[in-house]
Amino acid sequence: MRRRAAVVVPAMLLGMVLSGCGDTAEGGQDADRLTLAAPRDLVAGPQDPYFTHQTLRVWEPLVSVDDKLRPVPALATAWESGDGGRRWTFTLREGVRFSDGTALNAEAVVASVRRFLRIAPRQSAFFSLDAGMEAAYGQLDEVRADGGRVTFVLRRPVADLPGRLAGFYSMVQSPKAFAASGDFAANPVGTGPYTLARWVKGQQAELAANPHYYGTPPAYKKIVVKVIPDANARVAALRAGEVDGLIDKGALLSGQVAAVAADSRFRVVRSPSALTHYLTFNGSREPFSDPRLREAAELAIDRRTIAGKLLAGTAKPGAAFLSPVFGDLSDPGIAAAYDPAKARALVSAAGRPASPVTILISSAETGQFPYTDVAEVLRAAFEQAGLPAKVTVAEATKAVMEAGDYDVFLSAYSVPNGDADYLFRRFLRSDAPWNVERRLGYRNKEFDTLVDQASTETDPARRRELYRQLQRLLAADRPMIPIAYQDNPVVTITGVGGVVQNAAYVVDLGKLTPSG
Amino acid sequence: MDLVLNVVLRRAVETLLVLLVLSVLVFLLTSLAPGDPAEEILRRGGIQPTAGSVAALRAELGLDLPLPVRYVQWLSDVVRGDLGLSYVDRSPVTAEIVSRLPATLRLAGAAALVAAGLALLASLRPRGLGGRVVTAVTVVVASVPPYIVGVLMISVVAVGLRALPTGGDTAAGAVVLPALTLGLAGAATLTRLLRADLAQALALPFVRLAAAKGLSPRRAVTVHALRVAAPNAIMAGGAALADLVAGAVVVETLFSWPGVGQLAISAIRQRDLPVVQAYVLVIGAATVLLLALADLCVAVADPRVRRP
Repeated sequence: MRRRAAVVVPAMLLGMVLSGCGDTAEGGQDADRLTLAAPRDLVAGPQDPYFTHQTLRVWEPLVSVDDKLRPVPALATAWESGDGGRRWTFTLREGVRFSDGTALNAEAVVASVRRFLRIAPRQSAFFSLDAGMEAAYGQLDEVRADGGRVTFVLRRPVADLPGRLAGFYSMVQSPKAFAASGDFAANPVGTGPYTLARWVKGQQAELAANPHYYGTPPAYKKIVVKVIPDANARVAALRAGEVDGLIDKGALLSGQVAAVAADSRFRVVRSPSALTHYLTFNGSREPFSDPRLREAAELAIDRRTIAGKLLAGTAKPGAAFLSPVFGDLSDPGIAAAYDPAKARALVSAAGRPASPVTILISSAETGQFPYTDVAEVLRAAFEQAGLPAKVTVAEATKAVMEAGDYDVFLSAYSVPNGDADYLFRRFLRSDAPWNVERRLGYRNKEFDTLVDQASTETDPARRRELYRQLQRLLAADRPMIPIAYQDNPVVTITGVGGVVQNAAYVVDLGKLTPSG
Repeated sequence: MDLVLNVVLRRAVETLLVLLVLSVLVFLLTSLAPGDPAEEILRRGGIQPTAGSVAALRAELGLDLPLPVRYVQWLSDVVRGDLGLSYVDRSPVTAEIVSRLPATLRLAGAAALVAAGLALLASLRPRGLGGRVVTAVTVVVASVPPYIVGVLMISVVAVGLRALPTGGDTAAGAVVLPALTLGLAGAATLTRLLRADLAQALALPFVRLAAAKGLSPRRAVTVHALRVAAPNAIMAGGAALADLVAGAVVVETLFSWPGVGQLAISAIRQRDLPVVQAYVLVIGAATVLLLALADLCVAVADPRVRRP
């Protein structure tokens, strides 16, 4: 017995180990099949407003954005505004069919928009149908099909409707895809290069080339996107050759980028995203109700070190409130100075606070970005400037902030589409929920007026000047300061080319090709 | 057997009470957690929701009702097997848990095999090479967090040797690394308990007598000694199995294993409270039931326990 047990148990274990050998090549690339991995499920299912993420290219929007957040044609090839920005007309691409073979027409577009309006507000795994919807459709009076074109009639002028519609909020799917409840009847029926062939919730999505696609057929007939939530396991799967690439927001943590990029088997694509790390000041209590101390805090921060070292070069130092992905709306004239000596002088002039300032971070964000390290660096910088500081990590930052129990809050924010107005209106206008509920205490009538003017200004040059004026105001008032503009690095093996990612983390899977 | 029946009844009443307390705790812990779920749900992709949307969603989810009312509603649904709808994708939670339980049970079962096999090996031949190696390895592994053990296994076995897949449950042999990661940790406790008890049992006069009588060493161990040594190990085994099911949270996430543990982690990240509640409730109930079952096994195996 003894001898046998001593043999049987290890043999059993060995058998378990060996049974796995030589059979791991289920991933891997062949001529027309590609396997990718993402940190989350890019399919959300029939109860979601969109069913799939835009990046899977199952459905397409009317308007998309480029790497400068400029609206670019998707299903709409052209658009024009009339009546001083109160009417917008979109011309549809010709010869487009849905994946069930039926033709795309203006009525289908109108039906998709009306469905959004009917089911909002509605949560989504991607972009909820609420604030972003309001930006896109808040002024909508009527949407109608008119002679093969789609016309939006607005109650008030909107200068940048195409930008606000860009992406998720102008998704078009066949009216047959939707049940009476507004949920999906079965699978998504879109116009993109791929269809959703199979979906195992939380595990993987299989895409198959759409035979009715109007454009150049995609190079890969089949793409599998696996869900690998753990960042280390994701990179391990890439190294083991089980997947050919990692996509989506947070595909690589900032600390992983250098090592993966150094490996000659892989190609890392770093493209700027709309995500920006901001520092929000509690201006409704001391010490940061004093503008001199907000200035001191800003001057004390070495953004180059934060972006280059802590975020490992995956971010660029912040300056203007709008990041460079907003193209010429971002004001290149704004520079963020690093001047610890002047910071110290300002603190001694204003008076050193008696109790330490609280640097608040959210535990939900520490997994994605090295916020604990960044907060420590901020603490040290503040203390050197003469501002005693402490770091607080909270689970429910909203409750803490609404109680006013913080002095600065570090967090990353993005925009749902190419909509610059959103950041100013939702965060900093005197009546903005962020400003009021989180006790920023920022009240500036000039700012409010400029926000309203900019959102209705249809002349591009004047609009740009208004947004730059807004950013100069914010650079002087400092209710919230941009610390760093975040890139979103994605990676594929060198055998895959054509990786293009826009500022909203959408990698166009339809453009991926085998390359040398 | 009346005595066994007595034990069963007493345990059944106790178990029901414990489950009721568990349901209250689960509900309170998730409902009183700071933060407004309605706002968190709507704040996808870093977008600030409007106050109107948050209020509408709170009403839709019934979050504006008083806590006791919500508890009674929730409990009456749970009793009928309805664990509610996911906050995130509005799909039924019961179906999601049921579809993911087999994967977790498969992993926990494989891990239990590893743990029990190693514990037996180390206990039956404590001074043999195998026994010593198992003891040393399990003690080292048990003192390192499972996440680290898992990452090491992935980088050595899956990435370095390419012998096994890094994760998922579809490829052949995918269960091996997660089962080893979980099982090795469980083996350490089990080994220590079983070995000590078995050594004691083997030294008992009647076992010695059996050996002196000419009984084969195998019979002496399996029929006599193991039965005496078993009760502690069964109890520990029940607890260890419950640990495995709960510990699967970390391991499932690391190995992309599609079980309930992975579901729980993603639900916690997304503040999907109905799913978190369901997970804690199901795992809690499973633990309570496993321990009750272990109690019964002990009662059957060990006549001393049955005495009132």
